[in-house]
Amino acid sequence: MKTIRINTLPGYEEWRDNAKSCLLNYIPPSSIIWKGAEQTQDELFKELPENSKSSARAKNEPILKVPKSFVELAQTACCHNTPERFALLYKIFWRINFENRKLLNQSLDDDLILLNKMVKEVRRDSYKITAFLRFRETVYDGREHYVAWYEPFHYTLERSLPFFTKRFRNMNWSILTPYRAAHWDGKSLFLQDNPDPSQLPEEDKIEKYWLTYYAGIFNPARVKKSAMLAQMPKKYWTNLPEAKLIPDLLQNSEAKAREMIDKIKN
Amino acid sequence: MQDKIETKLEILADAAKYDASCASGSAGKRSAGKGEKGIGSLTGGSGICHSFTPDGRCVSLLKILMTNYCIYDCHYCINRISSNVRRARFTVQEVVDLTLSFYKRNYIEGLFLSSGIIKDPDYTMESMVKIAKSLRLDHHFKGYIHLKTIPNASPELQEEAGLYADRLSINIEMPTQKGLNTFAPEKNISDITGSMGRLKDKISEHKTSKTHTGKKLPRFAPGGQSTQMIVGADASDDKTILNSSVNLYQTHKLRRVYYSAFSPIPDASLILPLKPAPLIREHRLYQADWLLRFYDFSLDEILQGTTNNMLDMDHDPKLAWALRNRHLFPIDINKADKKLLLRVPGLGALTVQKIIKARKYCSLSWSDLTKMRVPLGKVKPFITASDYRPPAYLLDMETLSHQLKQTEQLDLFGRAV
Repeated sequence: MKTIRINTLPGYEEWRDNAKSCLLNYIPPSSIIWKGAEQTQDELFKELPENSKSSARAKNEPILKVPKSFVELAQTACCHNTPERFALLYKIFWRINFENRKLLNQSLDDDLILLNKMVKEVRRDSYKITAFLRFRETVYDGREHYVAWYEPFHYTLERSLPFFTKRFRNMNWSILTPYRAAHWDGKSLFLQDNPDPSQLPEEDKIEKYWLTYYAGIFNPARVKKSAMLAQMPKKYWTNLPEAKLIPDLLQNSEAKAREMIDKIKN
Repeated sequence: MQDKIETKLEILADAAKYDASCASGSAGKRSAGKGEKGIGSLTGGSGICHSFTPDGRCVSLLKILMTNYCIYDCHYCINRISSNVRRARFTVQEVVDLTLSFYKRNYIEGLFLSSGIIKDPDYTMESMVKIAKSLRLDHHFKGYIHLKTIPNASPELQEEAGLYADRLSINIEMPTQKGLNTFAPEKNISDITGSMGRLKDKISEHKTSKTHTGKKLPRFAPGGQSTQMIVGADASDDKTILNSSVNLYQTHKLRRVYYSAFSPIPDASLILPLKPAPLIREHRLYQADWLLRFYDFSLDEILQGTTNNMLDMDHDPKLAWALRNRHLFPIDINKADKKLLLRVPGLGALTVQKIIKARKYCSLSWSDLTKMRVPLGKVKPFITASDYRPPAYLLDMETLSHQLKQTEQLDLFGRAV
């Protein structure tokens, strides 16, 4: 049994290089234990990387070619927070090479159902960061600087960065997440591991207007709490400034709606 | 203590919330290039929902009125001249600053600006255009702008608005002139559709024509036009409403028609109905609108067999159609063409796509459908799979419609976690 630990996050490139060398050495998925950087308690048992260019290369060497779509799926799935992601990807990589070149079309295959589910969750998480992240304004080096603290559920900071560099190209900003921060100065990105959450400014001069707006556009005559929760589950509420208004808005809604109807009747 | 802006925002956001449309419609992709000034981007698609309010609606845009002072007296409107609602008015600069400040904090995709009519339509429209122009030219704002144009404003101003806005809209409000006469005496349906017609021509001209030097014409409302109808204030039936929508989609190439169930408003006019229109009616109209645009249904098919030209409130229009056409079912999930699959209650466009892809490789069984997360409870009377045929009594059963009615209700209220 071989143990491979992927030390980087999200870890796609490191996984890919290891997976290629394992496949070239015909190491079947069942003989490898893949571990992610999350599983630090196993540090002591980490094996030294083996030299993959061993003499054991067989004549009918695997082709090591995968469809383009697999690369995209693997890159996405590597951002998932489950430590099993690397083992699943290797198994699919193996099966594409030795079992069925068109495996990815078999949307009812159990491994693929799992992969597609992971991919879907990562995509949703990547969308939510573009939606629910909130900047606060501060001054840094004499310039306007916008800082956000955001807790993604998967390792989705990196893949969301093109959105932010495009949309906020001419702003200086920092996005802090529990595992990594990204800083942008209008020209280049700088990544930093394990940032300090206290760098988030405690206040923002515009936030109160946002709260006023949020409370103002809510129509108390049309409460549909479940529809809200489906799109904005409570797990996202911690870093959304407007979420703290929701309990009061809900509580007062019935009275407000009744007030409106009473006025019509009288 | 509230400051001046907070007070205005409270009044003018409150006044805008009765407007149904919230999406930033697709106007293509766009962002500030390297070395370019400015801020903002459009991601394509229907824009990002940055938050959700407890009414379940998406917050995508800063949706406000420039002012809620108004010289008109439309009965369904909280801002009509005879209402004694609190009034406020933003300056051009205030709206520009708020939009940019919200945008930089990633609260919004852009601005949806509407307004009451002050002095006269042209004066009002001119101020709105100034806001859009300043965002685009002074601040190089590349985010989304939707302007609700003022009926009866001059064609020149409406055209200028199109140069800066991604989408323009004029509310048609009521499906008939009769409805307008009763509830919005200053508005005229032919003025409104006349404006829509002019804008339609302008939009297509800017998309296809070039200048005499061969340059492309500047962008003109690339996201098209939309409109809104109030449902349940007047006596119009669903057939009248949907007919009017079909006409708007076909004649004026509208991107969206929004339906807004009449909602009780504070200080309402006495000629309005006492009760709010049921939200379920609004929901059914959206479902029917969807079937017309994406599922290849005709209006006749949707309305065939309904009572008093009103959609069935107990079943969604697709299910209602299937119940009236039971002789066409069950259909074979492994052989039926796309058009027929789309008619099966419970199969959405996305699921149909998945089925067509998956059945290329194997004959689909009941457990395959489970894996695809097809809502089996709903589809089971209507389909056959490789190892499944519905028992004959399922489709014939008198109680089928009643049974499905209950499933449907559970779906409606239980959809969310």
